[in-house]
Amino acid sequence: MELVASSLFDLVSDVIRDTKGIGGWLSIAPDSSVGLFIPEILLCGTILAMLVLRLFRLGEKLDMFYVALIGVGAALLVLSPWRLSENAELFARRELFTGLLVYDGFSVFIRGLLLGFGVLFLVFAKISGIPSRYDSADIYTLVLGATLGLCIMSAANHLLVVFMGVEMASVPSYALAGMQKRDRKASEAALKFAVYGAGAAGIMLYGISLLAGLFHTVHLPTLAAQISTMLPQMETPELMVAALAGLMIMAGLAYKLSAFPFHYWIPDVFEGAPAEVGAFLSIASKAAALALLVRVVVGMGTLPDSSETAARDSVVARARQDNPATPADLLAQAPPAQSTMYVRHDEEHAAAETEDHPREDHATPGESDSATSATTDGLETARTFMAKLIALIAIVTCTFGNLAAYGQKNIKRMLAYSTIAHAGFMMMAVPALLAVADSHPQVAASAVSGIAIYLVIYLFMNLGAFAIVAFLRNEMGSEQIDDYAGLLKCCPGITLCFVVILFSLIGLPPLAGFIAKFAVLASVADAFRLSGHPYLMGVLVVGVLNTAISLIYYLRVARVMTMLPEPESRVPISLPLFSVAGWYVLAMTIPVAFLIVNWGSLHRTATAAVAHLLGS
Amino acid sequence: MLAAIDLHGFLFVLFALTACVFAAGVLFSSNIVRMAFNLVLSLGSSAGLFFLAGAEFVGAMQLMIYVGGTLVLLVFGVMLTAQHRFLEMRTNAGEWVLSLLVGGALLMVLLQAAFSVSQWNTPYAQRDQVEIDESKSATPIAAALTGVRVDKLEETNPRLRAGKSGYLMPFVIVSMHLLVVLVGAAYLARPRMAVRQMRRGG
Repeated sequence: MELVASSLFDLVSDVIRDTKGIGGWLSIAPDSSVGLFIPEILLCGTILAMLVLRLFRLGEKLDMFYVALIGVGAALLVLSPWRLSENAELFARRELFTGLLVYDGFSVFIRGLLLGFGVLFLVFAKISGIPSRYDSADIYTLVLGATLGLCIMSAANHLLVVFMGVEMASVPSYALAGMQKRDRKASEAALKFAVYGAGAAGIMLYGISLLAGLFHTVHLPTLAAQISTMLPQMETPELMVAALAGLMIMAGLAYKLSAFPFHYWIPDVFEGAPAEVGAFLSIASKAAALALLVRVVVGMGTLPDSSETAARDSVVARARQDNPATPADLLAQAPPAQSTMYVRHDEEHAAAETEDHPREDHATPGESDSATSATTDGLETARTFMAKLIALIAIVTCTFGNLAAYGQKNIKRMLAYSTIAHAGFMMMAVPALLAVADSHPQVAASAVSGIAIYLVIYLFMNLGAFAIVAFLRNEMGSEQIDDYAGLLKCCPGITLCFVVILFSLIGLPPLAGFIAKFAVLASVADAFRLSGHPYLMGVLVVGVLNTAISLIYYLRVARVMTMLPEPESRVPISLPLFSVAGWYVLAMTIPVAFLIVNWGSLHRTATAAVAHLLGS
Repeated sequence: MLAAIDLHGFLFVLFALTACVFAAGVLFSSNIVRMAFNLVLSLGSSAGLFFLAGAEFVGAMQLMIYVGGTLVLLVFGVMLTAQHRFLEMRTNAGEWVLSLLVGGALLMVLLQAAFSVSQWNTPYAQRDQVEIDESKSATPIAAALTGVRVDKLEETNPRLRAGKSGYLMPFVIVSMHLLVVLVGAAYLARPRMAVRQMRRGG
């Protein structure tokens, strides 16, 4: 029994080292789990500070906007995603919290995007005056809580954390959707959102439990390794269950992505909730959901780089001397003094095994060559299944969103359908990623970088659009497209910005929206050229066609604003470009209009972000 | 001296008494918040009884779910929707009679069932020879919540072993989530205050 006791000690010391690194009680190593999790911890601290400060008389007078802004800004500074393009090697993939989360360039990029959006959103909410000052602390708490969940979603490496992140992001959003309490429509929308959301989460959880039952793990890299060996040997009923589990998990993700057929909540919620909440749901929520989709398909569809899973394992490997591990495992992490002894001990055992497994030296020792070829088959099956499923969802979502947006009279409802369409468009890169993940990892990575570029541009476009809608609502109290008639006369600057943003949402060159759509479609075309899968051609054609369809309804808004005469009954509107609101709109429009001048730096950052995603 | 005291018996009597006294407290109090607090103590004591009986898992679940979750929810629900007619609960005579009948019948059935097993009636003659089996306990779950997967040591497949992650992070971060949700619930549940504040011009 001595072995157990000493291994328990090893387990505990491994957890401590993994969580906070070696050192004194209070020291936290910068490359430990907690050290890399500081942005999220700062968000937690800000939420607590906003609650505690209100207890004091002085804090009551304090505008919580500043507390929230400082908190999110500090989190962004600590994360510093702008270092990505300088040195991608700093952001090599590593697992946090014993494999629950993953830290790599992609997670830094998406979390940077989310926190950057958080800063912009807080400023936007402050300018537009919703929430009122009395409610602001509660609303900011909800926004920050949801952002925390979104950050966790974008770094998930374990299906338990996937579920938890989705819930942490969703539940505060339900309350946000019902922010205007006296509005019947808002309450109804919030209730619909909550009920459907709970249903979708339940379905996803059931899918996760089915996968856990089949493959004995929900840790994504382990799951991929299990799928690779177990899937080829599965009987038909088991395969049916696996496919069902995949469908159910995809249903949960599709709900977060507002993909067809789980999109029905979004128009109601967007119409009922204020435009500020719409901006949050359509940008931050979508960004994290897409990142999560990429995480799940990459996690389940590709085998990870062996070194980092092996690194966590080394302590247990040391503890269990009767079960030799490969030298790579031991050299990767164990402290030098201890590792050398076991390397010598294991060397002749393991050296022979690694020759057979150049790609996956962490797999079960003793597997033959035939098993290695079966390995790729199993994952290939899973990848093709996911690719076709997501391609279908993306095609239908994009087309449906664009067609349904056509008949809308309320601008927020139109933007809701536009959000659905854009989500579908971004999803189109995922089948491309899956199709070439094994054969051409570089092209697959460029598909993810296409999504990353799209998300950044989409942030500015949609935040600009929602900001204009909110500022116009404050001025004229209406969100109907028809009431925007003749806006060019009374506020030309804002109207011009809106037209630029709408043209960019269509994807017309030389605006930023064109770069976004081009990045996604180019990766699909590349993947089609390299793999020759016909469904990718279908995705490509539908993507191009949808750009043409979207022309109609975006241009209709532009036409109403610029060409129709001003109604006489309208109260005079003053929304000059030279006001705080105008500056904000301008700050969103300038990147949209002039990104083409310097889009290389965005491309470099996105490429650096995905460099380590596929473990190649 | 200390060994002479029968600690097990003493704790049993203590927990059983507190469980019963506070259960009676639930019955005879008319304020919902006091009832809830009495129920916390009563359920907590019965969790202590479970621990004494060696059913650690049931005891831990009793503490976590009933004492920790449901009752806190109840107290918060009462606090958020605090209106006089919901706060005070008056039970009329008919309800007393009915509940005494139902509760008494259940008590009779349970007592009858418990005392009908003859082994449970007679104490063991040689207490020294009683061996306590190693029971299924909550230890692996609790250890996993602190990040240590003790079942890793029994797993022979090295690949599955790599996939065993500790649950420290979710366990801690979920408290943040619950706090945020509570703030959201409080926000949605206080319509009047906001209106009053707005009239005051805040």
